Amino acid sequence: MKRIFLFSLLFAIMVSWVFSGGQHSDVENGKLDLSKKVELQFWMLGNAPGDLKLIEEEVNKLALEDLNCTVKFNYTTWTDWSQKYKLLLTSGQQIDLIFTSEWTDYQRYARSGAFLELENIVPIAAPELNTFIPENYWNAVKVAGHIYTMPNTWKEYVYDGFEYREDLRKKYKLPEINSIETIEMYLEAIAENEPSMMPLGEGGTGPKGFLMVYPITAELLHPWSDRSMDNYGLVSDNANPRVMYQYWGSEEHLNDLKRWKKWADNGYWSRSILSSTEDPVAAFQAGKLGAKISGINPVKYSQDVIVMGKNHPDWEVGYYPFSYATRIVHPVHPTHNGFAVPVSSKYPGRAVALFEKLVMDKKYNRLTNYGIEGVHYTNDNGYYKMLGNAETSGFKRESMNSWAWRNPEYMLFDPSFDLVKSIFTEFDKFSTPDLYNGFAEDYTPYQSQKTALEQVIAEYLAPLQAGLVEDVEAGLNKFMVEAKAAGMEEIQSEYLNQWYAYCDEMNIQ
Amino acid sequence: MQKKIKKPVSELIIQIVAIIVCGIAALLCLLPFLLVISGSLTDNDYILQYGYNILPGKFSLEAYQFIFEIPGPVLQAYGVTLLNTTVGTSIGLFIIAMTGYVLQRPDCKYRNRISFFIYFTTLFQGGLIAWYIMITRYYQLQDNRLVLILPLLMNPFLIILMKNFIKTSVPHDIIEAAIIDGANDFTIFTQIVLKLATPGLATIGLFLALAYWNDWFHSSLFISTPSKYSLQFFLYNTLNNTQAMRELSQTGASVSMEVPTESVRLAMAVICTGPIVLLYPFVQRYFVKGLTIGAVKG
Repeated sequence: MKRIFLFSLLFAIMVSWVFSGGQHSDVENGKLDLSKKVELQFWMLGNAPGDLKLIEEEVNKLALEDLNCTVKFNYTTWTDWSQKYKLLLTSGQQIDLIFTSEWTDYQRYARSGAFLELENIVPIAAPELNTFIPENYWNAVKVAGHIYTMPNTWKEYVYDGFEYREDLRKKYKLPEINSIETIEMYLEAIAENEPSMMPLGEGGTGPKGFLMVYPITAELLHPWSDRSMDNYGLVSDNANPRVMYQYWGSEEHLNDLKRWKKWADNGYWSRSILSSTEDPVAAFQAGKLGAKISGINPVKYSQDVIVMGKNHPDWEVGYYPFSYATRIVHPVHPTHNGFAVPVSSKYPGRAVALFEKLVMDKKYNRLTNYGIEGVHYTNDNGYYKMLGNAETSGFKRESMNSWAWRNPEYMLFDPSFDLVKSIFTEFDKFSTPDLYNGFAEDYTPYQSQKTALEQVIAEYLAPLQAGLVEDVEAGLNKFMVEAKAAGMEEIQSEYLNQWYAYCDEMNIQ
Repeated sequence: MQKKIKKPVSELIIQIVAIIVCGIAALLCLLPFLLVISGSLTDNDYILQYGYNILPGKFSLEAYQFIFEIPGPVLQAYGVTLLNTTVGTSIGLFIIAMTGYVLQRPDCKYRNRISFFIYFTTLFQGGLIAWYIMITRYYQLQDNRLVLILPLLMNPFLIILMKNFIKTSVPHDIIEAAIIDGANDFTIFTQIVLKLATPGLATIGLFLALAYWNDWFHSSLFISTPSKYSLQFFLYNTLNNTQAMRELSQTGASVSMEVPTESVRLAMAVICTGPIVLLYPFVQRYFVKGLTIGAVKG
């Protein structure tokens, strides 16, 4: 008995140790306290560039003079980064700034109290940054009424399109790609004339089921819809964001599935596509695929153009962004790239002030984005030019993964980016703010149903989407029965409740 | 002169058949290795087009070229892993042997309780977060080379194996005799126990060496300076990194890296397994004996 008591006492002491972080603040009485020399801990995702030490030294020279601090840039590497991210935030080790994004679960961590509220710190420690970031950006990253991250203002579009071989289109005298019909004609021609090629390649099942054809479904066949097509069968209406329709089991869904069945029967994709682990990017670049659909945004397209232009100069890559047809496009949501101050930070004011320097000060900004001028890059008439070659360069463009402190005014681009820019300029004409990506569902209330539903999707919906089921209508009915049994309706109603609450919070009508 | 016993013909036939069948089976076991080696030497585009072959369809060294493009970091990682493996295995072996020896001595008063304490950790663990907090906040070992050696030094399973092994292979009578002859405990351990326990040491040494050689997890969690990465993590991370670079829409990236992913994966397997495979023949004869003796008799 005595021993148990002792043990529990010991345990209690340890626990209280761990959690007795205590609030530190170096912003008091409306002023930033710079009197003490400190070292800040920065955490970023991904791998560190080879010449990080050099850059860090340069930044520290500047920072010591400006803010009486030095900074250490730490990287999670891409191996198991999400687990490490979680450990960093839960272990309570000192971190002064950490990268956030909707894909690192920014909203969830913010809700659970991992980050400091910034609205009282930023105006004092970083007044310039405070006004530089527009009001609507600050509002968009709010979680439960508070700002927990400093959003980035560089406007980029991560929208998918249809990537194909323009040289083959010309060879077979096909019309220009601009609709689902012309896409089908192209695929048909490849299937007939290019026996060594697979007309369309993509593989594997995503976390929410087999989604290869989903971008086409969402963006070409139902232009009224927005991209949120994979939320438990609910589709949002672009003209009326509050409303979500039931897509699964609908007439449209059935027609779409019949179309995929036809595509599969015509041999547009491999029969083993559900279990394929092939990398579509590599396969396309090697000339094994006629076209790609999912995840092909303008930047990836331009990369294919560069790589294939080098290896196969006689090939030509074509690209048709679905948004050209739908006239719906949103720049990435402000939460996409940001930096937050975790509660374990000892010097939140200093951290925010340094972040302001990275964004607003040209010296810091260029240094951390492009490296040392003359060593890593040169500024060639406003274009970025890397020195040395990609394999051996110690600091490639944005290799510090500095996405969150890009400043549109200081950015330098490679000439090849002009291609992307031209698409972006086109998008600018009809782009509207993204309303959806700031929303992050909290699936704890329906965790078990969600798991069950994912099983059902993998078992019944994936083969339907891959066009492997003979009787599409019966297959869809079966899927709907199973999905309902797994708890689809409960998930949807809870999901919608959260969505409405978010709409209210963000004033979305 | 000794007379040979003549074998019946039927037995001869059985033997011939058995040799042929086993021979084929053994060759089949070699095939995957061959496939890996030849795949690593094949042109990546060729693999994507036509798949893997037993012999390289189109010979290419691009995978090795990619890995050794900048040889410094790879060789450094090799060095780190070699150091960890030798230092970790020798120290670990010594400590494990010592623990195992003490735990089986009948005159060690609390041996059962201590054994239970060690055994207990295999059943109940604090979990990843608690462990991470302990290493980073209390021991302050993040980004320290020691973090790659210390956590793997002792392993409850190996201690139990060692304890049982010493129990069966070193009779307590010998130790008593040594005590009577005036040897102290440490002399007994180094001069008698360690020498009698060679098969066990070889077995457990191999387990330990493999654990150190294959360890990537500790590097992944605690090491943030690339020059301290172990080999496995270095290679694994290189691959993850190039994949991530492609997944991410790197806005305005001027050069997208071309990675021969398929062949590089296999080349990494060759590089990683190569040296440690050479260890097997040396310890193999002890290995089989040691494993059965230590494990079966309890």
